Amino acid sequence: METTISVPIWKQVWDRLGVMGTIIIVVLVGILISYMRDPQVTSAVLNSTLRQSTPLVLGALCGLIGERTGIINIGIEGQMLFAAFAGFLANVYIGQLGIFPLGVTLLLAVLVGIAAGALLGWLLAFMSVTLKMDQIIGGTVINILAIGLTGYFYQVGLTTQGKLQPISLGFLADIPLIGPVLFNNPPITYITLLLVVVVHYVLFYTRWGLRSRAVGEYPSAADTVGVNVYFMRYANTIIAGGIAGLAGVFLTLEAVGSFERLMTNGRGFVALAVMIFGKWTPFGAWGAALLFGFATAMQTQLQFQGDLAIPHQFIGMLPYLLTIVVLAGFVGRSRPPAAEGIPYEKE
Amino acid sequence: MLVKRSYLMIILLLVLGMALVACGGDAPAAEEPAAEEPAAEEPMAEEPAAEADGDCASEEVLCVGLVTDVGEIDDKSFNQSAWEGAKRAEAELGAKVDFIETKDAKDYAANIALFAENDYDVIVTVGFAMGEATAIAAGEYPDIDFIGVDQFQAWMFDDDTANDFTNLAGLIFPEDKSGFMAGALAGMLSETGTIAAVLGTDLVPPVVAFKEGYEAGAAYVNPDINFISTYHPGGMDVAFVDPEWGASTAKQAIDQGADVVFGAGGKTGNGALIEVASNEGVFCIGVDTDQWETVPEAHPCLVSSAMKLITPGVFDLIKASQDGAFPAGNFLGEVGLAPFHDLDSQVSDEIKAKLEEIDAGLRDGSIETGYNPGG
Amino acid sequence: MSDQTVEEGNGRSSGWLQRIWNTTSVPVGAVLLAALIGAAILAISGANPLDAYAALIKGSFGDSAAFGRTLEKATPLVFSGLAVAFAFKAGLFNIGAQGQLLVGAIVAAYVGFSIEGLPAIIHAPLALIAGAAAGALYGAFPGALKTYTGANEVITTIMLNYVAINLTDFLADGPWKDLTPGNVVARTPKIMDSAAIPFIGDIPVGFLIAILMAVVTWWLLWKTTIGFEIRTVGLNPHGAQYAGIKVAFTVILTMTLSGLLAGMGGAIETQGIVGRFQPGFNANLGFDGITVALLGKTHPFGVIPAALLIGAMKAGSSQMQFSADVAKEITDVIMAFILFFVAADMIIRWILRSRAEGEKITLSSGWGS
Repeated sequence: METTISVPIWKQVWDRLGVMGTIIIVVLVGILISYMRDPQVTSAVLNSTLRQSTPLVLGALCGLIGERTGIINIGIEGQMLFAAFAGFLANVYIGQLGIFPLGVTLLLAVLVGIAAGALLGWLLAFMSVTLKMDQIIGGTVINILAIGLTGYFYQVGLTTQGKLQPISLGFLADIPLIGPVLFNNPPITYITLLLVVVVHYVLFYTRWGLRSRAVGEYPSAADTVGVNVYFMRYANTIIAGGIAGLAGVFLTLEAVGSFERLMTNGRGFVALAVMIFGKWTPFGAWGAALLFGFATAMQTQLQFQGDLAIPHQFIGMLPYLLTIVVLAGFVGRSRPPAAEGIPYEKE
Repeated sequence: MLVKRSYLMIILLLVLGMALVACGGDAPAAEEPAAEEPAAEEPMAEEPAAEADGDCASEEVLCVGLVTDVGEIDDKSFNQSAWEGAKRAEAELGAKVDFIETKDAKDYAANIALFAENDYDVIVTVGFAMGEATAIAAGEYPDIDFIGVDQFQAWMFDDDTANDFTNLAGLIFPEDKSGFMAGALAGMLSETGTIAAVLGTDLVPPVVAFKEGYEAGAAYVNPDINFISTYHPGGMDVAFVDPEWGASTAKQAIDQGADVVFGAGGKTGNGALIEVASNEGVFCIGVDTDQWETVPEAHPCLVSSAMKLITPGVFDLIKASQDGAFPAGNFLGEVGLAPFHDLDSQVSDEIKAKLEEIDAGLRDGSIETGYNPGG
Repeated sequence: MSDQTVEEGNGRSSGWLQRIWNTTSVPVGAVLLAALIGAAILAISGANPLDAYAALIKGSFGDSAAFGRTLEKATPLVFSGLAVAFAFKAGLFNIGAQGQLLVGAIVAAYVGFSIEGLPAIIHAPLALIAGAAAGALYGAFPGALKTYTGANEVITTIMLNYVAINLTDFLADGPWKDLTPGNVVARTPKIMDSAAIPFIGDIPVGFLIAILMAVVTWWLLWKTTIGFEIRTVGLNPHGAQYAGIKVAFTVILTMTLSGLLAGMGGAIETQGIVGRFQPGFNANLGFDGITVALLGKTHPFGVIPAALLIGAMKAGSSQMQFSADVAKEITDVIMAFILFFVAADMIIRWILRSRAEGEKITLSSGWGS
């Protein structure tokens, strides 16, 4: 991949496709070659890539919806953790009632988690819109609060009836390579892929999206033409919180199935990086998250192969170094929404 | 107007302050000395201990304090096992037990000192990382017996007798043997010929011992076995608390054919076990304790666990301390495989016989794991 | 303007009292309110809040050893708080204080254990400077990346944190590992006595250095041209460009100095407290710096009380577990509310219902100036 810029023809392709497009094509070609050499390992790595990227995409979507309307959200980590906890508790206690089948219990638990994320989204909006608090502080408050509350109230020994299982999409799942990777996933993974498209569409092709972006770029102008800045910021931050909540329940209800203290482990911060990397666009974020997920899966795979002579810590650096290299070498400057971080004062 | 507001504010603060002070005066009534801290001098440390904490200072009462490694007492792993040992001492020896969870690795010494200053008789410190702090404390408080779980006592083997302790026992385990048994089991159970291990971090020696033993055990029963393993890429502070990484890594291993997965790394390993449970035809093996008890979500796949019996080890040492026969130095704890529980029917008699043979071989030394730390 | 009005309204004699009140009422109110909420949570969960707080205070200020422990805990937080606050002044968000601190800590350890026979007067400062320099380099890197490639420092510093963890783990378990017979632990050897930063009684000398560095930071920011340029870039980078300030240079310089502060914090932690580098022993010190900087309103003098507050809560949490059986996480909850109330000062002002305008002015210029 590093050679791509030095070759003029690639440069042309790059200019036409955009950075992410180029990267994705290079990666796709690489995948095909690798698949022909070892199909099993290739699908395993790709599965893992998709899975590792899912909470990052959701977190990044949460971040970018907020920032597009002018609210910086560094509390994604806390929102995820809190929602993961709430969803887990809901799964445990609704399950204990024993009146719903597992599927309904899980659905309710997912909704509870989304609501918990949305609640913290509301808190962030309340702090930054109503109280006009510094938004970085607001996010930090959410992070610490989530760590404290979930850690304090978590008790061991809570068990659930089960977690979300993969749903195979019929014949699609039988397509070689693509099938098992894309069409045999648990529900939140599908929803995530859908959300990328939906958020992109809503943000760039609807009145709501136009208004949201206007509020993030030039709130006073938006206000003059009758857009309710406060309402838009509240609404978007709450919705974004719900998406972060989905990322949280992905961890407890779909991926792992149980809760542990601090289990988000910095994913919310990496999501922040993914969002900026993707230049505040849903597809950009998706690409960046896939890259990161891929690098993580690769470092596991390299350790699996075990024939590398270098200490595994250097393999462990791979995802992070790759991100820096790609960011510095290919993506470059990115511009956040103009009015981000500034509380809006009605004239 | 302004004046009135300031009054209101001052009154409010005063009320808040009074409330705190009043309550502050109220509550410690039980432990009087704490309330008069500023004036308190030398005897202060002694007195509250005697009053608030029963009679740790008295001869009759056995007080056992446990300091966890960074992590919780309910970690479903080594902290919890050690604490259960202390709880057993409470039930069977009538000991008074308490614990402190370490939040910051730099607090090891301070947390140990909290128990020591309150005249506890036995202090259990859990985890190899606390070895240094424990040894220093053992020198400082010669009347207290110290049990260091996973703490190898190197002073036993040097020629210097000046640094020898009589009140410090390291409870250590040959994890490689336990891992060897688990590896042999995995090697015999595997039909695909690929087995995996999802591990915490190699910064923690017991994890490395488990892994090396596991790999050697599998190779012992099946030299052609394909062994894949990975350590968590994060540092000490995240390597054991990342269940999602453990889970997705286990999945990645299963996707490339592994049909037995060994999860050794606290909550990270537990994540791997739970993940394996939703894949049919794949076995998982737990670590440290019998994880059948601690990770019920893994029941569908959990064939056994590579155990190190911390709980009885800690209990035995506490009892020895009470009996006045504290065995300073290295105290070798028991290791072995946990029962097969519900999956018993899937482990053939042939495998069981072979495992017994290996167990005997490991005990009499005719089988070696090949793991030699520091060598 | 309004500040003056307030002072006049209260008579001439209360002028300085007024100022003290203005600067302290919000933080003090925030701590009290957060403590009340924490008490409510403790009570709900069946613990006795008064026992808990009594133990917390005993463990952090109860005797001189406890107070020393509070200072010990506060020392690295002052540095990481300064690092984050300093970068904020140039409009940069340095989430990478953790990584810079780790690098500083391990390099100081290396200089500390590998060089023999130096007198303490040379060895200790040398290790400190080496650690600070390592942190500075590690901070300069994302600064340079931002300047020359446009790579956002938020991403690069987050990524570099992970790289630093891996790098230091590798060094502590590989080339710089402690090879004392019997040691299986990943850690560097102990530093020479000559490299150690001592205590005066229970007071760590490192804390005094921390205060000194806070003063230096303040002086640099408000009394020098460079500081003026840094603050101008933070307020308005485009305007700064037009005004002839070299923005690119300023960004790199700011990140370098920010990294230097964090690295120095790591070095002091190694030389003054831990005595060596050991993975996991510096966890979260850099991240807590973000909280400290925000709590201190990103002012160098605000950082000191903020670090002391968090340090005290860290120092007291073991005692709280021991005598009141309260889980250590409650301190995080209280911390979050303190930060909330300090930032949302309008809530406190509403409760106190007093001279809203006067306080606003005081607060916006930060604590202590």
